[in-house]
Amino acid sequence: MTANFKLDAMLELRKFLWNELKTRNIFDEDDYWSDNLNENIIPIVPVQQTAEMNQFLSGKKHIVYDKIGMSYEDNWMICCEQILFTIYSTDFSEINEIRNFMTDQFRRMDESARDVNYWSGLSDKFKFFSIFVADISPTAPSEELQGFFSAEVILEIKYSRILDGQGRFL
Amino acid sequence: MLMQASSGLERLMAGNRDGVLKDSTVAQISAYLYYNANVIAKLTKNKQFQSVFSETIFNQIQKDFGEYIDAKARTSPRSLHHVYEWKKVGNKGARLFELSLMSQDGLSFRIGTSFKPSRSLVPLSGGTKRRHVFINKASVMEAGMPLKISPKNATRLVFESDGETVFMPKGASVVVKRPGGPGVKNQYFLAHSRFFTGQLVNQSIKNSGFQRIFNAGMAKALSLPSGIKKVQYKFSPNLVRSQADAALATAFGGVL
Repeated sequence: MTANFKLDAMLELRKFLWNELKTRNIFDEDDYWSDNLNENIIPIVPVQQTAEMNQFLSGKKHIVYDKIGMSYEDNWMICCEQILFTIYSTDFSEINEIRNFMTDQFRRMDESARDVNYWSGLSDKFKFFSIFVADISPTAPSEELQGFFSAEVILEIKYSRILDGQGRFL
Repeated sequence: MLMQASSGLERLMAGNRDGVLKDSTVAQISAYLYYNANVIAKLTKNKQFQSVFSETIFNQIQKDFGEYIDAKARTSPRSLHHVYEWKKVGNKGARLFELSLMSQDGLSFRIGTSFKPSRSLVPLSGGTKRRHVFINKASVMEAGMPLKISPKNATRLVFESDGETVFMPKGASVVVKRPGGPGVKNQYFLAHSRFFTGQLVNQSIKNSGFQRIFNAGMAKALSLPSGIKKVQYKFSPNLVRSQADAALATAFGGVL
């Protein structure tokens, strides 16, 4: 059986984050309805797609993410990644709200990983070991988007893909 | 300093067998401390060890810092495009910044940063024909230095501005007040200071794995030789010192 190599821990974390932000009413998914696509767009976008999303997200709070780097530990089953989330909003307090939520959710290492593992939406091909907040920047006027404020949160995650007997991805 | 301080123990290690009470405690505890002090002092003074220590940590910091700036630049290209070759923002191979290992004092070392010269041709814009290289692109834009552009080979400057071709008077120059745009000034140094004053550099040191290697080696070297564990009334400083040397060589192998 061939493994699904499209699966990615960063995307799983993004799904989890979006679910939490919706559930806690920090974001209203109806604000991101796209008539063109006839569906809601998740306003947590990879940096590679920001150009095409700029018009749609104009004036709306959103999050841009990118992978800083990844490496494997001596125990090659455990992968360590850093992900940079940049939060944009025209409202200073909204940025603080998202940032504080992310801090609260993701600073607890094993406990934060447990929350993700217990979430029913997580792919059964991953197991998270720890998640913590590696860095948080202050909120400041954005140099990228005129009229927006921005703040950065860097998460460090340790996880493993579920493996077969030969150590290959399932 | 540590060696100097521990030399005071040599007298206590000599013991006192002539008194009424024969007690090995003082001599033995002194030998124990003397041995540990020697191991630590010899290790931290060893040039080869210092070099391995700093290079291992520096290499990891260099990797992590580079990846951090790359990711930041991809997310905020307007702020950090100037520290990359033209149209290659966030590309590892196009970086115009670098870190360097500077002075070292014992196990402390300093890391510096500098900009590399740009080697790629400035992209052509409408009306421009002559290609050139903006060598100090990164440093000039980072400093927000105004640029004066004067005709060098041609008699006048011709360029496009807001969709219109501008013909400057013969010999007249143009001043670009904010080369690189309004958002670039000091942005690299802000990101640099964010990395080095926050948790990221600590995380990088942890990730270097040096702590693990160092701790395992140190625990091995600090394990007391059987001669010091045995009850004795007198210990030879020379012997303890050579035992410390031998323990370090065994624990850190080729490093020392």
